[in-house]
Amino acid sequence: MLKISSIRSFLESTLFFWVGLTLIITLAGDSLVLPDWLQVIGRSHPILLHFPIVLLLMGLLFFWIPGIDKKSEIREIGEISFLAGCNFAGITVLAGLILAQEEYAGEILTWHKWGGLVVFAGCILLYFFRSLNPNFIRLCSVALALAIIATGHWGAGLTHGEDFLLAPIQSDNMEIIPLAEAEIFDDVVQPILQAKCISCHKEGKIKGELRMDYLEGLQKGGKSGPFVVAGDFEKSLLTQRINLPEDDKKHMPPKNKAQLTDEELLILNEWVASGASFDQKLVTLPAKNELYQLASVKFEGNKIYSFKSADAEAIAKLNTSFRSVQALFPESPALDVSYFGISAFQPNSLADLQTIKNQIVRFSMDKMPLAGIDLSFLRDFAHLEELHLNFADLDSDQLKVISGLDKLEILSLSGNPLNEASLENLAKMNSLKKLYLWQTGLSQQDQMRIINALPTTEIEFGFDGKGIIYELNSPVITQKTSIYQDSLELKVTHPIKTAEIRYTLDGTEPDSISSPVFTAPIFVKNTGKLIAKAYAKDWIGSKTTEAIFIHSGISPSGFSLLSEPNSKYRASGAATLFDLQKAEASNHGQKWLGFQDAPMELEVSFDGESNPKEISLSLLYNEAAHIFPPAKVVIQGLENGKWKVLASQTPTVTAKPLPARSELLNLELESTGYEKLKVTLTPLPHLPKWHPNAGSKGWAFVDEVIFNE
Amino acid sequence: MEKEILEEGLNHNRRKFLSRLSLGVGSLALGSLLVPDLFSGKSEAEEAMMNALPHFAPKAKRVIYLFQNGAPSQLESFDYKPLLNKRMGEELPESIRGTQRLTGMTAGQSSFPLVGSNYKFDQYGESRAWISEVFPHTAGIVDDICIVKSMHTDAINHDPALTFFQTGAQVGNRPSMGSWLSYGLGSENSNLPAFSVLLSRGRGNGQGVYSKLWSNGFLDATHQGVQFSNSEDPVLYLKDPESMSRPERRKMIDQIAAMNELSMKQFNDPEITAKVKQYEMAYRMQTAVPEMTDVSKEPESIIKLYGPDCLVPGTYAANCLLARKLSESGVRFVQLYHQGWDQHGNLPNEMRLQAEDVDQASAALITDLKQRGLLDETLVIWGGEFGRTNYCQGKILVDNYGRDHHPRAFSIWMAGGGVKSGMVYGETDEFGYNITENPVHVHDFQATVLHLMGIDHERMTYKHLGRRYRLTDVSGKVVKDLIA
Repeated sequence: MLKISSIRSFLESTLFFWVGLTLIITLAGDSLVLPDWLQVIGRSHPILLHFPIVLLLMGLLFFWIPGIDKKSEIREIGEISFLAGCNFAGITVLAGLILAQEEYAGEILTWHKWGGLVVFAGCILLYFFRSLNPNFIRLCSVALALAIIATGHWGAGLTHGEDFLLAPIQSDNMEIIPLAEAEIFDDVVQPILQAKCISCHKEGKIKGELRMDYLEGLQKGGKSGPFVVAGDFEKSLLTQRINLPEDDKKHMPPKNKAQLTDEELLILNEWVASGASFDQKLVTLPAKNELYQLASVKFEGNKIYSFKSADAEAIAKLNTSFRSVQALFPESPALDVSYFGISAFQPNSLADLQTIKNQIVRFSMDKMPLAGIDLSFLRDFAHLEELHLNFADLDSDQLKVISGLDKLEILSLSGNPLNEASLENLAKMNSLKKLYLWQTGLSQQDQMRIINALPTTEIEFGFDGKGIIYELNSPVITQKTSIYQDSLELKVTHPIKTAEIRYTLDGTEPDSISSPVFTAPIFVKNTGKLIAKAYAKDWIGSKTTEAIFIHSGISPSGFSLLSEPNSKYRASGAATLFDLQKAEASNHGQKWLGFQDAPMELEVSFDGESNPKEISLSLLYNEAAHIFPPAKVVIQGLENGKWKVLASQTPTVTAKPLPARSELLNLELESTGYEKLKVTLTPLPHLPKWHPNAGSKGWAFVDEVIFNE
Repeated sequence: MEKEILEEGLNHNRRKFLSRLSLGVGSLALGSLLVPDLFSGKSEAEEAMMNALPHFAPKAKRVIYLFQNGAPSQLESFDYKPLLNKRMGEELPESIRGTQRLTGMTAGQSSFPLVGSNYKFDQYGESRAWISEVFPHTAGIVDDICIVKSMHTDAINHDPALTFFQTGAQVGNRPSMGSWLSYGLGSENSNLPAFSVLLSRGRGNGQGVYSKLWSNGFLDATHQGVQFSNSEDPVLYLKDPESMSRPERRKMIDQIAAMNELSMKQFNDPEITAKVKQYEMAYRMQTAVPEMTDVSKEPESIIKLYGPDCLVPGTYAANCLLARKLSESGVRFVQLYHQGWDQHGNLPNEMRLQAEDVDQASAALITDLKQRGLLDETLVIWGGEFGRTNYCQGKILVDNYGRDHHPRAFSIWMAGGGVKSGMVYGETDEFGYNITENPVHVHDFQATVLHLMGIDHERMTYKHLGRRYRLTDVSGKVVKDLIA
């Protein structure tokens, strides 16, 4: 069996072997020439290094066990691990020295290399002098542990990049850069390289002999060629590598490392395509340029303000149901203050704004009743750029304060009457970029004056409608119902109060001279049509509007439909025709009877006392939906068992499609006293030529049949 | 003795097991500190995201979306294709149509005759954009707007296409764009809902709108769109009951708040606080909403500008005017829907009427915002859910024809809010069928709108049923060309 003591002596002797090799390689430096197989050992450095760290730190711990001197067995375990650790430290240092010959160089490498050598030397010394004063040894053990940690940290820095360890807890001091100042390389391209490439292409770890951590390094290029060649995807190492499939050995970033996002890939490609400039501003690119579009998203609009943010609590307090105080965007110190709710406005609430007077950039008091309120507080808003005071009842005295607002860029005073004095104040405000003066009562001359005084300001005078004459909209007729018993009240209104409404009841079109003016509700007692039209000064007369009113007259004692309506449009059958409910023209689905293939044949009878003389049919016309005036309407009377034609009508076929509407068809009978009456309604057999479905069958729709004496 | 040894062993094992278990539990607890949303509903990451909104300085603070429901034809509005007039009636070449799927309405058609616009076109403004004769007022503001002629979408029927435009997905249940913005940016004016909805109906063939379009989806109910109606009660259930005085109402709300406060102490449910806030907001809306709907103080020129219909509640013009008033008062997102743009037939007549109803008021809104200095911070969007085919649906006549749905290319316009003005973006082929330049997908459009509002569309997400959702789903690219 192998004795502990012999293991120990073997390990002690190998130590010397490592020391010797280390000395040679360290001293040889750059003149060292390594065979390929040794590189394998070198590259195992990242695996090996874990052994010495663990074993050495474990061994060091044993020095701290109280009374360790007396516990020889435990002491032995500690010593053996420490010794093993020393050996591994040697192997690791050797491997590291070999690896360092590859693509590593720089300051961190130096620190790591010498750190490793110090650790190796230190642990050997500590091992052999372990029986010295225990307190001294413990002190040394702490120093060695620190050296191990420091060396490990530098090593990690080589592999993962500096600041790798602490990056998650370091605050990103992201400076916000305005679009106008953003550089293509510095602010768009470089951050991507920093995040995805530099950890392997930098001082200390120059993979492919390419350094990406400083400008000259990039311009110099790498082992396989120049980093970028303006506009050339093939020759540029960057675009060559990032566009290879991810499985390709030469693809960058290497498999298993953080890959470029689609957007980053696009940006890098576009950067090369658009000239790979290192010192060009983003805004100099044409707006159509893809790179500009991709990159400008990051910067646009984020105007930088140098003043400090207001206290968040103060801002929260100022937000009420009638006032909103918001930062332009979350990190911005600039505030946007708006007042809402005319009835909730309290003038003394303006004083609260003093706490944020330095931060207010945009202030809106549109429509607030500001008459008589001193606006001098606006001068305290040191950074006010945009001010909206539309329709705020301001007078020229109040507006004097505005001329002192020298940072103002946008001013909106629409709806406040301005006079000479206010104009003069405005004329001095050449910082303004936009000025809104709609409805301010300025004459053409005044307008020209202000335009001339502020040549660089965009001034908007808005729409005054003078000289433009439009057609009035139609008046609105209101009636409780279309079919009534005794008398019906008709009202006509128009939304424009000054409009005059003219009307007729005889079916003719009203005119602005002879037709009666509607002043009070009209009461009608017959069946007919009200046609109304509105007139007003500075307006063209409206289109006519009309309403049918039907006197319900007498109801038949019996009725029956001899022909069935189409199964899709039968409503409630014959009863619908006498329910005295006028259906709406828009809804032909449920309240109307529809006939297409066969004519409607309706038989009605009356008791002896009624003598119907007038028949009105309420019909629906909607040419687009194939619903036309009927081809023919015939009324027959039964006399002595024989049917006799009493009246007939052939309505004209409409010549073009009109909107869906309801019309009344009236027929008068010359004689009365028949046992029964029959109404025959024949749908149009062929749609007219102009119709998209010319030739096919038309529809007839009816919803009421009314008889009057 | 043996038994004792055994028991001793067992005890020892149990003790060991338990003590190790306690260590295990301890390590679990320690580990759970690294998973902050393990036990809570809302993740800290989400909260952090919300606090970081907007992601950058917004160009637009508010949106007014004039949705032209039913899909107005691009070929009769902004996409001028004289070739279609030249080759009127000729068959749409197979090479142009490609493998495009058709709707059930024209798929059975034996021929696809090309049909040119019945309206005349002309060039306007400095941008020399082509605009048809039925949009004369839009032509008048052409240098203030940006026409995008290369929109395309995934859906081919109204409901899914509309839902897609509004929520980023074709099936319902996702939050609408307005809800997302309400969630992301909140309300500027706490007296009014951040997301308001206005409906109107034109005279053309219409398609329905339904409340799922302004739904909050899985977001908090406070982000739902509030519909303003044209009835006596613009916002339903807002009015006090008859004979209840203002002070009485105040007292009632205070009492309810006090009771809610008690249950809050007992249950500590944040929903209770939300409820109290909603009562308060409704109370404030009672004074804020009448201020909004009162148009009596509008100057005469405004009535001329929008057209006299703006005084008739429920019309498109009135809704545009109301939209301006709401937006001006800090409502984050005003969504209009105007129905009646589905011209499968009778297009030349119906579209003229539709345009008559919307043209003046849409242009007026731009002019009005501009003269108040608000256009720069308000994004206005005009457009439908898809376009219409370059071939005729049904029988083709000299002055009458129809067009079917066409998702491959259509036009919308945007104005203000950081969008480039006086620009025509994108191009379609001579047939107006396929996009040849700068396609803009619906998700790209949504990403761009969010971007203008200062939001990175990829970063504003909401976790629901184990997945993070966003308005642009899994795609979308900000169209930088459109941004000033």
